[in-house]
Amino acid sequence: MRTKAVLFLMFSLLGHAVIAQKGLLEILEEEQREIPQYTLGTFKATRIGIGHSVETRGQGILDLMINNRYCNTPTQYSQSMGPEKLNTRIALEYGIDDRLSAGAGGSTWNGLFDGYLKYKLVRQRSDGGGSPLSATLFQGGSYFSEALGPYVEGDFSNRISFTTQLLVARKFGPSFSLQVAPTFVHKGLRYSDGDPRNHVAVGLGARYRLGGHLSMVAEYYVVVNPVESYDTYGPLAFGVNWDVGNVMLQFMVTNATHFVEDAFISETDYNFNLKNATINLGLSATYSIHLSRKLQHLRQRP
Amino acid sequence: MIGKHILCVGIMVLSLQARSQLVIARQGRVAFFSHTPVEHIKAENDRAMAIIDLANGKIAVSMLMRAFVFEKALMREHFNESYVESDLYPKATFEGKILGFEPYGVEEQTRMVLGQFSMHGISREVEIKTRIESGLGHYVLSGSFEVRVRDYEIRIPALLAGNIAETVAVDFIFEFMPYEN
Repeated sequence: MRTKAVLFLMFSLLGHAVIAQKGLLEILEEEQREIPQYTLGTFKATRIGIGHSVETRGQGILDLMINNRYCNTPTQYSQSMGPEKLNTRIALEYGIDDRLSAGAGGSTWNGLFDGYLKYKLVRQRSDGGGSPLSATLFQGGSYFSEALGPYVEGDFSNRISFTTQLLVARKFGPSFSLQVAPTFVHKGLRYSDGDPRNHVAVGLGARYRLGGHLSMVAEYYVVVNPVESYDTYGPLAFGVNWDVGNVMLQFMVTNATHFVEDAFISETDYNFNLKNATINLGLSATYSIHLSRKLQHLRQRP
Repeated sequence: MIGKHILCVGIMVLSLQARSQLVIARQGRVAFFSHTPVEHIKAENDRAMAIIDLANGKIAVSMLMRAFVFEKALMREHFNESYVESDLYPKATFEGKILGFEPYGVEEQTRMVLGQFSMHGISREVEIKTRIESGLGHYVLSGSFEVRVRDYEIRIPALLAGNIAETVAVDFIFEFMPYEN
């Protein structure tokens, strides 16, 4: 009995010693392990360069986007020193909640009107647990409103195109993110009956943060079954994103001329090269307006 | 024999007491405010954690930088990515001691808390005046202090220098309950 009591006493004291040895911060650290920490800023904006990123806009943020593409036509007849064509898209994009975004816009080329819905399915976590990847489902549609020639069927269903994407990305650290995007495009408009209506493509995108508010991006789409009746190329883009306050500026060089997914994935007419100057300059400006403000209750203590 | 049982029970009670000398706050609120003529910024974290060892007045506080909610959603991204760099430094912590702390029998006291505050990889000694209210094993600590942004090597681009104050005011309130392991 006495030995039991002594043993009990020893264990009780040992228990104390163990508790005493554990620092207060360590106890808090164990408690905090249960709070999920979702990775922030895999990409800085809803676009990497030309295509969408896994990011959705926060709830109540309205983005006013103005995208410009200054294009060169690589013909010998051109006399122009400056860009010969300009494509502009103006769009409004809104964060319905933190995971669901919607947008609508119009481009000057082809009178192309577009809209999309985007939902963040999986969020990467940076606390060791949970998913190592982020995944976002993208569904977009566009309407080609410009007049068509006599040999192309131009009824409504032929003018509508759809793009479905599963955007999968991972942030590998504070400065590097990578994205892979299996893409399905349904084109309503065909210029030849031999062309496929449905295209499969894979998008690859990366972001490298140079520091502060500046990052570098690269993006490429491989089209598995391109249009057959004329030559098309995979769109490639290199760019710099600069964000400050509520404004985000994206500068890029690319061979893509369109802004809407189905158009630039299936209809990029020129290859990316310096030889005949088919590189287009892109400038996108996004201005964010906060329509819903949080923390209305919060007052500073006097 | 009975004496031994009493001894055993006594030890158990003692060991329970030793455990209950820790009190924890799991939903502490920490808010900060930056005021400049151009812009007012406020942010709140309602999941800050703190723990006190009543036996010696030692206190530790830890909060996740990502848990700060901002008035404008986009500010949270900038705060985490460009200013506090929460991928590299996910937490802000404080470890120190409440000077002259009387854990029992005093309903209200104002004490200085002295310790190391760490944020953005920089650790500095700070002294914070804190109001402590207590009753029935519960403690409420509240107060405010100021943080000079430059002290923690948080760089603000020249273009935004007018939008972010050099010194931000921090308010905190923690409600402590006995800690059960």
